[in-house]
Amino acid sequence: MSPDARQDFALAFLSILFEGAPFILLGTVLSGFIDVYLPSGAMDRLLPRNRNLAVFAAGLMGAIFPVCECAVVPVIRRLVSKGLPVSCALTYMLAAPIVNPITALSTWKAFQGQNAEMMTGGRLALGFLVACAVGLVVSKLPLRKILKDQLADELEQETTTENRHHHHHEHGDGCGHDHHHDHEGCCGHDHDHHHHHDEKPDPDTRLVAAFRSAMKDFVDVGTYFSIGVVITALFNTGIAPGAEWLDTLATHPATSSAAMMTLAFVLSLCSTSDAFIAATLDKFSWAAKLAFLTFGPMMDVKLIFLYQTVLRKRFILILAASLFIGIGAITVFWHHLMFPTP
Amino acid sequence: MNPVARRILFSLAILGWGAVLLYFHSSGRITKYLAPDFRPIALSGGLGLAVLGLFNLFYCRVSTTCGHDHGDGGACHDHEAPDLHPLAILLLMLLPVGLAVAWTKDEYSASTLARKGLYETPASTPTFLAGSLPALTREEIEKSHSKTPDGYYEFSLMELFYSTGDRDLQNAINGLKVETEGRWVDEKVRNPNGTRKRLYRLFITCCAADSRAVPIILEFGKTPPNQQENGWVKVAGTMTFPLEEGIIQPVLRVDRVLAAEPPYEESFLRN
Repeated sequence: MSPDARQDFALAFLSILFEGAPFILLGTVLSGFIDVYLPSGAMDRLLPRNRNLAVFAAGLMGAIFPVCECAVVPVIRRLVSKGLPVSCALTYMLAAPIVNPITALSTWKAFQGQNAEMMTGGRLALGFLVACAVGLVVSKLPLRKILKDQLADELEQETTTENRHHHHHEHGDGCGHDHHHDHEGCCGHDHDHHHHHDEKPDPDTRLVAAFRSAMKDFVDVGTYFSIGVVITALFNTGIAPGAEWLDTLATHPATSSAAMMTLAFVLSLCSTSDAFIAATLDKFSWAAKLAFLTFGPMMDVKLIFLYQTVLRKRFILILAASLFIGIGAITVFWHHLMFPTP
Repeated sequence: MNPVARRILFSLAILGWGAVLLYFHSSGRITKYLAPDFRPIALSGGLGLAVLGLFNLFYCRVSTTCGHDHGDGGACHDHEAPDLHPLAILLLMLLPVGLAVAWTKDEYSASTLARKGLYETPASTPTFLAGSLPALTREEIEKSHSKTPDGYYEFSLMELFYSTGDRDLQNAINGLKVETEGRWVDEKVRNPNGTRKRLYRLFITCCAADSRAVPIILEFGKTPPNQQENGWVKVAGTMTFPLEEGIIQPVLRVDRVLAAEPPYEESFLRN
């Protein structure tokens, strides 16, 4: 790298890092405190009993329980194993990283001077609608086509146990969280808790646990963000091979959206900070940036690995292709509606 | 890796980021990286990272329990297990930042400036920037712009640049004697006689990565005087908008040029 290229890279890299790091911190501290302080089952109680309404409600849960896409997958695994409908869990998983106040704030800040309100509103609306659409489709599919065998087995075992009304509530003392004992109809709590409560929760160290969880989330997200910012800074300053080629793709709405979604997939950025990357790619259209901001938090390289802890590979592949085509088509169509070419 | 060692490494990585943010803020260099709105956020972020890092470092030996189940049969009952090896995380978080801090000169090279619109005309520049400027008439110019002792209206480079794309503004400014300031660079396009230079500033919306060059052409009618390349100058002359190769260009016919002190915001201009 030439001295000029180094100085250009350094300026772009540090400026994006300075802009995004505070928002990652805000997101991860919140997520750390949710992880430790939020009682298990708190989400289940907020969802309506009607399955379709529950899907839409799950799409908005990120506003109450804001988590980024890295943090949401472990949460989903726990919620699914505790009986949250898979359609609701997947809707929450796809929507929460986008439809949450931290992401909205960072998108709005990042796009100042670039139709910030429209981009923020568009991102939240599209993220919510796409996630709900996936949730509604998933609600019609058998569990075994979606979930990994091990998780599906666990759920089927639970259903069997539930049908036989064999409730094994061996909580012991000081379980430390709410089990929501409501035995009317569906009892509203999981029936095979797998509780390994050898250790009692210690209120004195919960703050330490929350800060530790925040630190863990921050370094996980910060690592991917750092890699993403390196790549973005190289493209932003024209140093990266293929930067000119990427610029040529930016001229057409369809190729531009496809290129940005591919970039989002490769960069694997956190939804709390990806807007700062998208806003700097000024050669790309509004639609392409919206596609980047919607597709990225739902599907990227690191999520592929995380999703495999819950979902079947075949389902992940179909989900990725559907999201790519669906979000691409919607954003291009939306762009043509808003900015019609003469 | 031992959990305590892992916590120490993570704390150091976070403290490293926090220290860089706080250093750039306290040294004033942050002005070259972020728009004013973002600087207090960056300061808060730096302080927050310092608190998070120091807290976790201080309590790295304390044992905790989370107090809730993970629904996974206890297989991954660890809130701290990272995606990657802790040493890889430390390397990926600190190496790029360290290199960037060592390499940065707080400004772009000429080739990246060209990529950021140094040689573009207003018509081919994103229109959202133009939207931030008020409408202007000759009467309003006289009211809102002060005059130098030798009779030149003081204009920001931004106004002169965007007047090219606004017919009313163009009519109001065309032929006006104006003074403005910016950075002095060679004119590399449409300069067959070598009588031109280019004056620019960078407009930053959020951060330096999204900055755009805002340039005008300086016409001397003879060989331009010597000034430091990329140095700050004050230029006075008559503003014109000739049609060149089918494109209206903002051209200042220069009467005088003087070296100037860099403004506080250096290369960036906002509002």
